[in-house]
Amino acid sequence: MKRKSLWWLLSSLIILSVLLSACGGTAPAADEPAEPADAASLPREETLYFNGQQWGPVVGWNPYSSNNNNAMAISQGDNARVTMFETPYLYNMLDGNMYPLLADGDFEWNAARTEITFKIKEAAKWSDGTPVTAEDVAYTWATHVKYNTPTGAGNMAYIEDIAAVDAQTVVIKAKLDDAGKTVNPLAVQAYVSSNYVIQKAWTQALEERVSEDATAFLADTAEDVVYSGPYHKFFTDDTKVVLVRDDNYWGKDASMWGQLPAPKYLAHTIFKDNAAGSVALAQGEVDVSQQFNSNIQLLWESYGLPISTYLPEPPYGIGASLPTAFYNLESHGLDQIAVRKAIAIAVDYPTIIANAMTNQSATFDQVPRSLMNPTDGEQALYNHDAVADLQWAGNDIEGAKKLLDDAGIVDTDGDGWREFEGEKLSYVATCPNGWSDWQAAIEVVAAAGKEIGIDITTNYPEWSVYQTVVTKSDAPLPEGYDIFMMWSAGAGPTMPWGRIRNLISSEWVGMASNWNGNWGQYSNPRVDELIQMIPGETDPAKLKEMYTELVEIYLTDIPSFTLMYRPQSFHTVNETVWTNFPHQGDGTNPPVPPLDCTDGWGIACLYNISLVSQ
Amino acid sequence: MKAYRRYFLNKLGWFLVTLVCAFILNFILPRLMPGDPVAAIVSRLAQGMSDATGVQAIYEQYTELFGTNKPMVEQFFIYMRNVVRGDFGYSISQYPRTVADTLKSSIIWTLGLQFPAIIVGWVIGNTLGALAAYLKGGFDKVLMPVSIFVSNFPQFGMAIILLVIFGAGLEWFPTSGGYGFDMIPNFSWDFIKSVIIHYQLPFWSVVLIAIGGQAIGMRSMAIYELNMDYVKFSRFMGIKDRKIIGYVFRNAMLPQITGLALSVGTMVGGALVSEIVFSYPGLGFTLLNGVMGQDYPLISASALIITVMVLLANFVIEILYGVIDPRVKAAQAD
Repeated sequence: MKRKSLWWLLSSLIILSVLLSACGGTAPAADEPAEPADAASLPREETLYFNGQQWGPVVGWNPYSSNNNNAMAISQGDNARVTMFETPYLYNMLDGNMYPLLADGDFEWNAARTEITFKIKEAAKWSDGTPVTAEDVAYTWATHVKYNTPTGAGNMAYIEDIAAVDAQTVVIKAKLDDAGKTVNPLAVQAYVSSNYVIQKAWTQALEERVSEDATAFLADTAEDVVYSGPYHKFFTDDTKVVLVRDDNYWGKDASMWGQLPAPKYLAHTIFKDNAAGSVALAQGEVDVSQQFNSNIQLLWESYGLPISTYLPEPPYGIGASLPTAFYNLESHGLDQIAVRKAIAIAVDYPTIIANAMTNQSATFDQVPRSLMNPTDGEQALYNHDAVADLQWAGNDIEGAKKLLDDAGIVDTDGDGWREFEGEKLSYVATCPNGWSDWQAAIEVVAAAGKEIGIDITTNYPEWSVYQTVVTKSDAPLPEGYDIFMMWSAGAGPTMPWGRIRNLISSEWVGMASNWNGNWGQYSNPRVDELIQMIPGETDPAKLKEMYTELVEIYLTDIPSFTLMYRPQSFHTVNETVWTNFPHQGDGTNPPVPPLDCTDGWGIACLYNISLVSQ
Repeated sequence: MKAYRRYFLNKLGWFLVTLVCAFILNFILPRLMPGDPVAAIVSRLAQGMSDATGVQAIYEQYTELFGTNKPMVEQFFIYMRNVVRGDFGYSISQYPRTVADTLKSSIIWTLGLQFPAIIVGWVIGNTLGALAAYLKGGFDKVLMPVSIFVSNFPQFGMAIILLVIFGAGLEWFPTSGGYGFDMIPNFSWDFIKSVIIHYQLPFWSVVLIAIGGQAIGMRSMAIYELNMDYVKFSRFMGIKDRKIIGYVFRNAMLPQITGLALSVGTMVGGALVSEIVFSYPGLGFTLLNGVMGQDYPLISASALIITVMVLLANFVIEILYGVIDPRVKAAQAD
């Protein structure tokens, strides 16, 4: 009897499993369009799909916190994401201008350059139908300060106060130095395109809910948040996040876009790695890809898919940030400029760009190294001829050897490695484990060392360990971090000043938790002085002079060296369903930047795209 | 009956001792890793902050919240007290989500994928192994090499082969996700169908490998049993083949049941490889991220669940063994 029932169970299980698989085999493939108007599915022709923004499940919707892991809705900064929450202005990385969103017209500095005034659009409304007012802008700032949010803490040094003059007019009062001059006009005006306006009434409700406790305030998931943007939460789980359009969005008013954005839904499947995201992009399950897709050109060259990047040819995108290798200036021998320069000029950058970035970066022959990113605006900010002798494109093994020989750093004991002050030059080059493009780059750096008689080995700690070590700038870096990779800032309203400050200002040295830069702890009073002077300077000729001097110092002292250029966003689009995405020379005016249709002026893309089928 | 009670109490005692040791290790081991998990949260909160004291204040606020500033012994007692109340605290890597919430949303997928896969792999594998031992000849000659070949595939290899052939190549099955990329979970036939379709590749990537291993094990056990004296004796006695085979498989099955119990216990760890290759939701990836992000509360809670499941499965099997096979009880109770 027992045996019989066991066999019964067994056979039924086998039948069930065979049935399950057969059912799968005959069922339609997943890329067939779902039935339209089904509440349970997202109609393909009403949904714009993304990848590369959201990794892991969403944890909150609180615009005051930077701990929401909610990339589709919340990302403040240089090119703020304005899908759900909105900034007064939109920054356009292509022309460097700010365009009004919640604001009405351009902002204005007063004659003394101590205050910025701008107005809020009459038409601007919250999702609950109430108008967006100057009071909301002021209260948002006051709340950031009160709860010491990242926005508050990051701007307190530059902004004295934000006040509402009347319902529509906002005045930002800058912090003044002892001489009565604005400490940093750049940072003050960047505020209006980098930070969301959050509703006062909702903020007060939240404060009441958490009894004004700062930790609880930032930890609140804010499911009830009031927003002003065109999209809001529709659905999230461990596999996806979906935003749905608010058809009452104020922006359809003629004073702003004059229409609603084209897609009804913005959906982002949560992929586990880049490979899965790339497959989905190729299969047409992703329309806008913000991830590194290795050898992207194969998708159209070899497979003939309707996939494209902002530029049709390498580097495919517009480089904005400078992933950089930092030297630990306290390591034996790395305090010598000759050693730092020898390693930097010996590195085979073309290999890094071809292998690690699969040519999705401009080369250093195309865009000679400086402190600027490859955009025309930044490139025009320094005198190329003045620093041409200092720039290098890499692979200069003989030059590096000569440099070391001339400095007396030679191999004295015949073991094949050079010594400095009797001690062998031996370094560990490092970056986080699993960051494959960075690891490939670091390997090339190590290989360059071997070519010139400097022993460089590689080591890849986990990110959790790496970040703790590298960002601790109040003590010398420990062993194993002689040459290490970190990022730099991309494109934004304070750039290139902000990037340069992050890379080489000594103000970060001594910070217990330094997420700004200069992780090699370089210090140069002249650099600090120039960084201090630039924000207040308005004369373009003088600015160019100062920037050129900074580049000159950077390329002479070499406290760190850029390994590649990286775009602000990897903007790759699949035009199977939607078309008219931003491409170079697409005729838009002002030009829409390749920022995945969500960031800064890039949001204009959502109003330009249309269905292929129409 | 008395002997059985002694056997039971003995097993229960060991179960509790192991549980306590495992509980302590679960707490201590993650915390011995180098690095500072709170720094990761602070890094997210402090982006753009240039004010050193501000960053320090935030850091202190969160070390206080997670208790990482307290001595380890004190942390342990707080942890124990909370666990007894069923409170695993906040996840560090997914803060402000709680550990319970994080586990709840992913464990269903893992159980849904792993439990049937283990059972189906076990049943099919054992059936094939038993048949191979019994039928011998051509069936055995084909099955054995195939089983050895398949069971030695690394799981990521199998997953990627399935992905490339049936997902990207033939396009019979979707390549990622737990359900259609264009669906929202609901109780409709379309959604269920979508879940079933998305289930196939991850499911078979686990099952195919399990089948091979089980078949090999079962085949050798069955061959061993088929050559035992009692089988020969029964044959001489003229007992029907079917009856004999029943005995043979019951005996050959015992070690296989132990294996099943262990795999049921460890399945909570998740089919990590399948989850990553197919971007399938589940606990394995959550746990991997927890380990990467030094999410002590999450690691401890998951490890505790795994520990309890393995211990329980073993305990139940041992107790059942006492019933199924009197020799075990007799030997252990001595």
